[in-house]
Amino acid sequence: MKKKQLRLTVNGEYHELYISPKKLLVDILRDELGLTGTKRGCSTGSCGACTVLLDGMAVKSCSVLAIQAEGAEITTVEGLADGARLTPLQRSFLDHGAFQCGFCTSGMLMSATAFLEENPAPEDIKEGIQGNICRCTGYNSIIRAIKAVAESKYKEEGR
Amino acid sequence: MKKHPYSVINTPVHNIDGIAKITGRAKYTFDVTLPRMLHGKILRSPYPHAEIIRIDTSQAKRLKGVKAVLTGKDTLGKKQGIWRRFRELCDEEILARDRVRYIGEPVATVAAVDEDTAEEALDLIEVEYKPLPAVYEPLEAIKEGAPQLHEQAERNINVTRHIEWGDVDEGFQKADYVREDWFRCSSQAHVCMETHCAVADYTPEGKLTVYTSSQSHYYIKVLLAEILGLRENDVRVISRYTGGGFGSKFELDSAQFCSSLLSMKLCQPVKIVLTREEEFTATKRRTPMFYYVRSGVKKDGTFLAKEARVFTEGGAYTAMGATALYLTGFFQSFPYVWPSYRYDGYRVYTNTAPTSAMRGFGAPQATFCAETQIDLVANDLGIDPIEIRRKNAMYPGYEVPGQATIQSCGLDQCLDKIDQWIKSRGKLPPHRGIGIAAYGFMSGGIFNWFDTPYAFSSAVIQINIDGKVDLFIGSQDMGQGSNTTMAMICAEELGVKIEDIRLHMGDTENCPVDLGAWGSRETLMQGNAVKMAASEAKHQILQFASAKLTPNIVYDLDIKEGWIHLIARPERGLSYYDVVKEAIRGKDGQPIIARGHYTPHRKGMISPAYSFGVQAVEADVDPDTGKITLKNCVTAHDCGQVINPLGVEGQLEGAIAMAAGYGFTEDLPMDEGKILNPNLVDYMLLRATEMPETKVMEVETYEPEGPFGAKEAGEGLTNPTAGALGNAVFHAAGISIKNLPITPEKVLNALKEKKKK
Amino acid sequence: MIRPFNYHRASTLEEALRLMAKYQEDYKIICGGQSLLILMRQGLVAPENLIDIKRLKEMSYISYDPEKGLTIGATTTHREIEKSPVIEKYFPVLAEAEKNLASIQTRNWGTIGGNLAHGDPAGDPAPILIAANATVKMASVEGKRSLPLEDFTCDIFETVLEEAELLTEIQVPVLPKRTAIAYEKFSIIKNQQGIVSVAAWITMAENNTECKDARIVLGAAASIPFRAKEAEQMLIGKKIEKNLLSRAGKKASEECDPVGDIYATETYRRLLVKVLTEKTAQKAWEQAKAASSSGGTHA
Repeated sequence: MKKKQLRLTVNGEYHELYISPKKLLVDILRDELGLTGTKRGCSTGSCGACTVLLDGMAVKSCSVLAIQAEGAEITTVEGLADGARLTPLQRSFLDHGAFQCGFCTSGMLMSATAFLEENPAPEDIKEGIQGNICRCTGYNSIIRAIKAVAESKYKEEGR
Repeated sequence: MKKHPYSVINTPVHNIDGIAKITGRAKYTFDVTLPRMLHGKILRSPYPHAEIIRIDTSQAKRLKGVKAVLTGKDTLGKKQGIWRRFRELCDEEILARDRVRYIGEPVATVAAVDEDTAEEALDLIEVEYKPLPAVYEPLEAIKEGAPQLHEQAERNINVTRHIEWGDVDEGFQKADYVREDWFRCSSQAHVCMETHCAVADYTPEGKLTVYTSSQSHYYIKVLLAEILGLRENDVRVISRYTGGGFGSKFELDSAQFCSSLLSMKLCQPVKIVLTREEEFTATKRRTPMFYYVRSGVKKDGTFLAKEARVFTEGGAYTAMGATALYLTGFFQSFPYVWPSYRYDGYRVYTNTAPTSAMRGFGAPQATFCAETQIDLVANDLGIDPIEIRRKNAMYPGYEVPGQATIQSCGLDQCLDKIDQWIKSRGKLPPHRGIGIAAYGFMSGGIFNWFDTPYAFSSAVIQINIDGKVDLFIGSQDMGQGSNTTMAMICAEELGVKIEDIRLHMGDTENCPVDLGAWGSRETLMQGNAVKMAASEAKHQILQFASAKLTPNIVYDLDIKEGWIHLIARPERGLSYYDVVKEAIRGKDGQPIIARGHYTPHRKGMISPAYSFGVQAVEADVDPDTGKITLKNCVTAHDCGQVINPLGVEGQLEGAIAMAAGYGFTEDLPMDEGKILNPNLVDYMLLRATEMPETKVMEVETYEPEGPFGAKEAGEGLTNPTAGALGNAVFHAAGISIKNLPITPEKVLNALKEKKKK
Repeated sequence: MIRPFNYHRASTLEEALRLMAKYQEDYKIICGGQSLLILMRQGLVAPENLIDIKRLKEMSYISYDPEKGLTIGATTTHREIEKSPVIEKYFPVLAEAEKNLASIQTRNWGTIGGNLAHGDPAGDPAPILIAANATVKMASVEGKRSLPLEDFTCDIFETVLEEAELLTEIQVPVLPKRTAIAYEKFSIIKNQQGIVSVAAWITMAENNTECKDARIVLGAAASIPFRAKEAEQMLIGKKIEKNLLSRAGKKASEECDPVGDIYATETYRRLLVKVLTEKTAQKAWEQAKAASSSGGTHA
């Protein structure tokens, strides 16, 4: 298969890659760029563990051909914190114990980040993470963590 | 109740792995890559029962990029099993040599330069099978003339269990009321977010390192060494993080075995990651059970006699099924005083994927049956569901004859709290009901079927010059939070802050033995070992402090938050950090080292300690569609002394999601041994939108067997929900469904039947 | 695993149509790929050529005209439809249905065109669009044509799209006065594909007691989205009341052709059709009556 050029920005860094068009976005992020924070949990686009932001929208990176991300701006979990400064959502997750084994956590954080970006004062938080499966927490701690941020209980750290 | 004010335990600390997990830094086995690493795949049997006549791997071997193709003939031909003490139960080759006994059983494995090539190679392996007659249901498999799966198991009976005390027949004679019911408990898939995976790395020195997602690195190490013919400690098992376990990851699996075989052949790292489909079809699952329960009671609700009989669907191999058989029989009597009890359990081989350990380990099935029947009995006799339970509840000091001594038991307080909550709900709207279930569970088992010579759990502490404490433990954190719990116990006992602890775990080369995260044993067993080590280390430090403080011998010293002081006069003291420096100098420059261990001795037949609780589920039942909607789930849980409150809450909510799923949405329907929904589209587990409001009410007791009085809070919480849900449906709609899961269709059919009457 | 393919990105609709004509049988269109990629990963679909139309902004639009009604470009994403103020104003039942489709992630990338072209009898939002009398526009190098959406799917996962034809637009005519559409999907887990779904359109007569027109469309109750015409006939020209709705529901449950699978037996699906038909027809009737008194429509 003929490789094609892919140019995209990931967590603020520009990359030029030569990739096989059949590669999925999740494969490029993990295998080419070494960003293993984004996980894969299924092959039917069901679990959401692979969620990243593509031009600000939450998408399942296992269901996007990498080549379709040409020119896009991708944010993965590694791109959330600014050095040691965690985002309010990350801090809230820590405070509320909104993770256990942690495998779904990256996807959960990306979905929640995009959701709050779009609706800073959401009515129905469950809707925001409906596309993400967590087998450990039973979701309620995650809802509490997101709610606390939505209720402005966390401020951005020293920006 | 002995209680001390605590600095660390029972405070809401951050999970010590938190930063790693929320910044994407945590590396799971799924993320491991090594130089020159190859990718492996496994070819699996499409037949539920067949002889392997011939396997031709020549074409596959010739495919460009394929480095090795192995079959069962390339192994040592050993059968393994986790119940090592009983060789006849070690019946699984993993990579089948002559015969396959379930759809999905491995028959060949490939290593190639990438996953796609490995997958292509699978298609090129030719296997000639001779299909054999197969049997899928336990009640069919025990019939005369049914296909036999294993030579030594007559009529496919794999294991039997008998538990008895008192005189059951006399009890039934004396009873005013006797009731019998039949139940069918379904299977369930663990659905860990990280599928089973392993990266095996065999090097020319003859040493094998296996990175793997596991709940017990020790078990995997020993089982691998045995089946591969390696020296036990030439095998190293590593992973710091495990993406979920729930009982599925402490037995040797095909990813670990096949990747090791391939790596040993090639002297290159080989990575095998099971697909989600393989995860559903070819890893182990919850044991389906066919249950008969008969209870005899007095007309005032006093329990007199109980008889239970179970046939479990064993699947093709023993795995941990024997434990599930025993525990279901034991917890069938829980958490009540039954003057007489008789249980007979039969685990039956069938040509289906092996059934084994899943959170609750036979107790959720037992609790579903027991609690459903108790509500029916209460209803028949016109007794309040809370009252009938209170009347017969276990209490501190109760001895289950020949089985267990119950020390701490907060069941009565749990019943009070749930009673109060139910009353606070007032009158419910139409088609809504509240159901309850009481439960108890073990905090680790006393059994040594693995036949280990080691203490069940050990810990080593090393204190460095800056006061930093290296804590070496063998337990594995699969999400249940044991890492944080151990750090908390260590910090509390030693009298330092949690930031002073540096945890070492997840590597059999550097860590002491612990049997693993199953049977809800870590808090009690690893916790006790950690506490012992911390206590010993503290003792060494206090010896030095005593020399400096020169207190009267009758005065005690203690350490709290880094302050070593006289307990009677806390203002008189020294900094821990200063004393540590002097202690090390005083010991020839040696860091302070201390050890701890724990093995339950003479603690009955099951467990040193039991958690207790009562759960209430409030649910709506739609009379037109039969759909169940969960509104509230409230649990009063007695885990002794709470160590990690955020952890307990998280475990409870997670358990509810899993156990409610077991009750009404999750199932593994099969057609002639083939699982029909092996993916996350068709397998219905709860998402955020199905979760009810949850509330945890902690009932604090003090368990003398546990560290700081602590008991389990992980598996027990999975026990009650299916039963409580079923009882909620009973109170909402007047129907009792005894066949899990409680689907809308079953509800509607039951409503129709009820209308006819 | 995904088999190798030749990748072509179309920058204009014309280019896409030319590529499709060039590769005739041996290509697949990828837009959002939310259905396609799953099939390709499982090796069920392995085209020689993949034509990517995701970048065709010219096909992504939502507009409303008081004469022509609503037009939606085929590469418009589900999320765009869900969030569109135009849809919220003129066709809120569609926005509501989109909200309950799959997940936010899927809706952010998947498109309405891809959804309809997939031809899934259980798919949302086809029943609603069919109930609303939608038409679809298709184009090829040969020219354009349009067709009622009702006639677009011909069998399970099969549409009438010709070999080199592309679905380009969906058009929903202006709702007649005194009309409302209601929709309900039954699933165990929210946002899961429906075990059964029903869309009901009711137009009230001027006297506001009789039903002038009814359209009842069932999802996951046959090999294609199914119009329960016999049930509709029971309502048209009649005075609507509970008993009648119940009988119409029963008729719908008898005339459709559902299958039994691991989610539900055939019997249970038929029962759900009955219950949901009654429910949605009732809701549409009430909304149409209310809209009538305010002189408008409700969708």
